[in-house]
Amino acid sequence: MDIWNRAAAGHKLGISSAMLSNPDFVAFALTIRLSLTTIVILIIIGTPIAWWLSQTKSKWRSVIEALIALPLVLPPTVLGFYMLLTLSSDGFIGASLAALGLPSLAFTFSGLVLGSVLYSLPFVVQPLQNAFSSIEQRSLEAASILGAGPLDRFISVVLPLSKMGYLTAIVLGFAHTMGEFGVVLMIGGNIPGQTQVLSIAIYDHVESLQYGAAHSLSAILLLLSFAVLLMVYSLNKRVQLLGRA
Amino acid sequence: MIDIQIELQNASFHLEANFSVAETGVTGIFGPSGSGKTSLLRVIAGLEPQALGLVQIGNAVWQDETSYLPIPQRQMGMVFQEPSLFQHLNVAENLRYGMNRTKRTSQSVEFSSMCELLDLEILLERNPLTLSGGEKQRVAIARALLASPQLLLLDEPLSALDQSARGKLMTYLEKVFQILDIPVFYVSHSSEEIARLADNLILMDSGQVSAFGPIDDVLSRIDSPLIELDEAFSVLECEVKAHDLPHLTTIQSVGGKILHIPEIQRAITSKLRLQIRARDVSLCLTEPSNTSILNIIEAKVTEISQVKQGARTIKLDIAGENLMAKVSDYSSTQLNLHSGQEVFAQIKSVALVG
Repeated sequence: MDIWNRAAAGHKLGISSAMLSNPDFVAFALTIRLSLTTIVILIIIGTPIAWWLSQTKSKWRSVIEALIALPLVLPPTVLGFYMLLTLSSDGFIGASLAALGLPSLAFTFSGLVLGSVLYSLPFVVQPLQNAFSSIEQRSLEAASILGAGPLDRFISVVLPLSKMGYLTAIVLGFAHTMGEFGVVLMIGGNIPGQTQVLSIAIYDHVESLQYGAAHSLSAILLLLSFAVLLMVYSLNKRVQLLGRA
Repeated sequence: MIDIQIELQNASFHLEANFSVAETGVTGIFGPSGSGKTSLLRVIAGLEPQALGLVQIGNAVWQDETSYLPIPQRQMGMVFQEPSLFQHLNVAENLRYGMNRTKRTSQSVEFSSMCELLDLEILLERNPLTLSGGEKQRVAIARALLASPQLLLLDEPLSALDQSARGKLMTYLEKVFQILDIPVFYVSHSSEEIARLADNLILMDSGQVSAFGPIDDVLSRIDSPLIELDEAFSVLECEVKAHDLPHLTTIQSVGGKILHIPEIQRAITSKLRLQIRARDVSLCLTEPSNTSILNIIEAKVTEISQVKQGARTIKLDIAGENLMAKVSDYSSTQLNLHSGQEVFAQIKSVALVG
């Protein structure tokens, strides 16, 4: 109860007094950079995974699907905890990197990207898989009979018919990465300019009773997320109205 | 020649087909549903990679024991039962899809002449979703041909259409076949389409080829599998002779036999094709008089089949052409039908198919 009262008090003081401070701006920029990097990587690796899942008849499909969906149900701290273990100097990845003479990923931006990729994977793979599955096999057969090889078919038939799937995947993956907290806290720590993202900065402000600053950041995140989702849903509706042309 | 010797084993279905047909004209593939017609076409196209055996089109080996040509490299066109146009492209872009992926030097079909032949000019800017079923199939046919194929595969292209659209598309198909100098495989379960369009015929039943060859040879085989299906029929090539009787047109078969059909608006000497079902032909030993049946022609019995389901199929010779008749075993015995016998064939109805 106490925290809410104090939050309300902070509100009465007025958000205007708490313009974005420099560290807050750094956290904001870092969050955007993390989300952008993550979504680019996710689209690159999510496309082949989603394509394979949509086409395969392998018995391994369910196993892979379940693995990818894990972050949907798992507390992020669990994912973060196991990542921390594997990234640490005696963990599997950490030890391998050390053996290769490479720097550790724990508490670095690269580590955050890795965590975010795993954490947001289902939000990218699932819309893409749905989009790919809804493409009729017949269209692909027709394309190959008309002389299109596999890559050509993918670019000339699959991609244009999956536009909405990609838009949804990009937005969900981006927005979900922007809002992550638990994984970052576990593997990133709280290093300003390197691993301190918006959600952590907000938590910090609340901890140190700076409700005005917490408000500003929260409001930005809230409005940004809403705007992005609004864009997706209205585009989706317009596309449905126009048919898939 | 087109040589096919293939085998395909699915969980529930076994297809085995060995045949060769001429590399020209339209080869109809006919049989009841589930007999493997579509699977055969898919194997030839390369869409069933687990199929074993030989697929050879003229000098080009598409598949044998040691090689398997990928689908995009098989120079063929295919039109499916339900249209498969790309919905993200307009009609013109659909038409150019295969064309743009064909080497300039091997392009043999011109875009504008194909659009003219199939009346596609006014559709070019449209989205496929806004087309009627018949229009979609016309675009699909043109799209396949614009890729300059060496073989055209048509998988029941009319079956998703209503009756009137079917008739129109059949007229377009005839126009296309007339100018086409590549072989066509045409899958259908309609004997009318086969009678109208095919030069060669492959009969399929339960995953097997039960007969193949020039259409007249296959149709006039006394052991034709069509007989068991009660689908036996003959095709007669005729020409218009006169419009001298009220509401009737007089026509003459190649062998010179005169027939009457319901009046048609066609010029004297224009060619036409008749489909006559065996079950619509009955036999008399003497020329019947006082009958309402219009077409009674002299014929000679050449062959008599075994009894199947209480009936026999009689192969008749009418001035050098084959006509099949179906009579009950009882009548056959009563009339003492035997090979070489002169009889009168009463034709109850004919279908004009071309």
